[in-house]
Amino acid sequence: MRPVITNLMPRLALAGVAILALAGAGPADDFDVRTQIGPHPVLPEPQQYLFPPMRLAPIVGWKTGETPKVESGLRVQALATGLEHPRSVYTLPNGDILVVESRGPAIEPVRRPKNIVMGLVESFVTGAGQATGSNRITLLRDTHGSGTPDVRTVFIDHLFSPFGVALVGNDLYVADTDAILRFPYTTGETSITAPATVLTPLPGGPIDHHWTKSLVASEDGTKLYVGVGSNSNITENGMAAEIDRAAIWEVDRATGAHRIFASGLRNPNGLTWEPQSHALWTVVNERDELGPNLVPDYMTSVKDGGFYGWPYSYFGQHIDPRVVPQRPDLVAKAIVPDYALSSHVAPLGLVFDTLNGLPARYSGGAFVGEHGSWDRQILNGYKVVFIPFSGGMPNGMAEDVVTGFLDSDGHAHGRPVALALDKTGALLIADDVGNTVWRVSSATGAQAANTQ
Amino acid sequence: MNSDNPRPPARIAGHPITHILVSFPIAFFSGALATDIAYAQTADMIWADFSAWLLAAAMFTGGLAALAGIVDVIANRRVRARRSVWPLAIGSLLVLILGLFDNLVHSRDAWTSIVPVGLALSAAIVIIVLITAWLGFSTVTVDRPDAAEAYSEGVRQ
Repeated sequence: MRPVITNLMPRLALAGVAILALAGAGPADDFDVRTQIGPHPVLPEPQQYLFPPMRLAPIVGWKTGETPKVESGLRVQALATGLEHPRSVYTLPNGDILVVESRGPAIEPVRRPKNIVMGLVESFVTGAGQATGSNRITLLRDTHGSGTPDVRTVFIDHLFSPFGVALVGNDLYVADTDAILRFPYTTGETSITAPATVLTPLPGGPIDHHWTKSLVASEDGTKLYVGVGSNSNITENGMAAEIDRAAIWEVDRATGAHRIFASGLRNPNGLTWEPQSHALWTVVNERDELGPNLVPDYMTSVKDGGFYGWPYSYFGQHIDPRVVPQRPDLVAKAIVPDYALSSHVAPLGLVFDTLNGLPARYSGGAFVGEHGSWDRQILNGYKVVFIPFSGGMPNGMAEDVVTGFLDSDGHAHGRPVALALDKTGALLIADDVGNTVWRVSSATGAQAANTQ
Repeated sequence: MNSDNPRPPARIAGHPITHILVSFPIAFFSGALATDIAYAQTADMIWADFSAWLLAAAMFTGGLAALAGIVDVIANRRVRARRSVWPLAIGSLLVLILGLFDNLVHSRDAWTSIVPVGLALSAAIVIIVLITAWLGFSTVTVDRPDAAEAYSEGVRQ
């Protein structure tokens, strides 16, 4: 044998860098994302890449006094700062606010060289850091109705990547990533130390790729609905890892028994009830790496027994070429989601304006918290949008309500996650990168409160 | 030992490290073709995972072998002067370029990380490796009947 490689190596290295740069940069993206908002999104042909388009928003956080921007007629304030990766919020009947501080389980094994690269990418943009105080629920109480909480306690500690919360009577349910837990709750409590009872185990590890478990109780309180995200982007961890995932479970509150309520929902979050139709609605994170403008994330009503495409197809019968073996029988019955939100915006929060605490134009419509994109050149999302509803269905174009999470250089002050209303009907936003809970209220209402 | 045979400068305690290193990418690329074929026939992601690791290891060890090879060529005029170096060099360059593409294609998710482009690249790489090795050995035999034997002794030292 001979020396097989020669001093052409530097040229190879240069060629490699050039190829990566070309593959990563791609053409200027003049696609109008607004064509992908609404019930009939424009869907370009899927593209596959050597190096998928990617852009990350470096985290700069909020300086004292900095806030997101809100539309006219609204007012924004920090309800609580210095939190540890707050992911969701929940308002108790007495007005106390629960802030779920949560970090990912970080148990996804390195299965491929790609996981090492993507792990670095994610650590760069989640801002989870080494939040030692996370994985707990913090209680905020505004005793005097001043809009600023004067009580802040650790309500429940030592949870395992919690996300969803639901109270039915005196039973407080918390969805850890691997189980629905039940705690006894008495009105006015500021701390629960009683041990949890496991109502129903949920698919957690191994892998636990999409780990947030959104939770809502049925309006009559007999059932719980829980979102269970897929264990991969698009089945690259094998179909066995996807059993009972990419679905919304219906759990019987009395027995803990569960069934699959709806499936084919890649990562469903923000489970809630539409006030007019009383239908279950969710926001769903669709698949990555088919291009900057595929696949649009969406919100949809959820039909009992419905199948929404993942992994085989998207937006009805659009086949995903990466999934083999295909299932034409399932693709044929895949339901087209109700309303696209545009691609890679990463919706994680959904709440309907049911309390009339905000200006009348928002009444009955939906707010969606968009955590923001990584899988495209031009950042998308990183804001809270409003979609008007009429007759139980979306009726009109999404409009920005809370923005300014990104600065003009594309750095992230914060990223909105889950949403809720407080007792007065103001909008609460968990910001897991800014470590803040924001409260958006009616500007006139706030003035009235201030003059009291 | 035959004193006319140019000794590669890149060596540790007398071992020609280019010769040792280069066997790794050859084995890894060949293995990746086998696991690509297994995936294409089964759609079982375990084979795709194997392929991705094998290709990453092939590029890493191939890069090390390339560095050692560059040292050989730069540091020894007689290595450089041998005509048989150039078919090997060009073949190796092609393998590493295609290997880079193959790694990137294999970083996609699921079926299209392998079928059809990944599998085609892996097959092309193995064919080029075979041709390159064939040309290399045939030139060795014509130029220096004792070269292969000398190499074997070098490894045994």
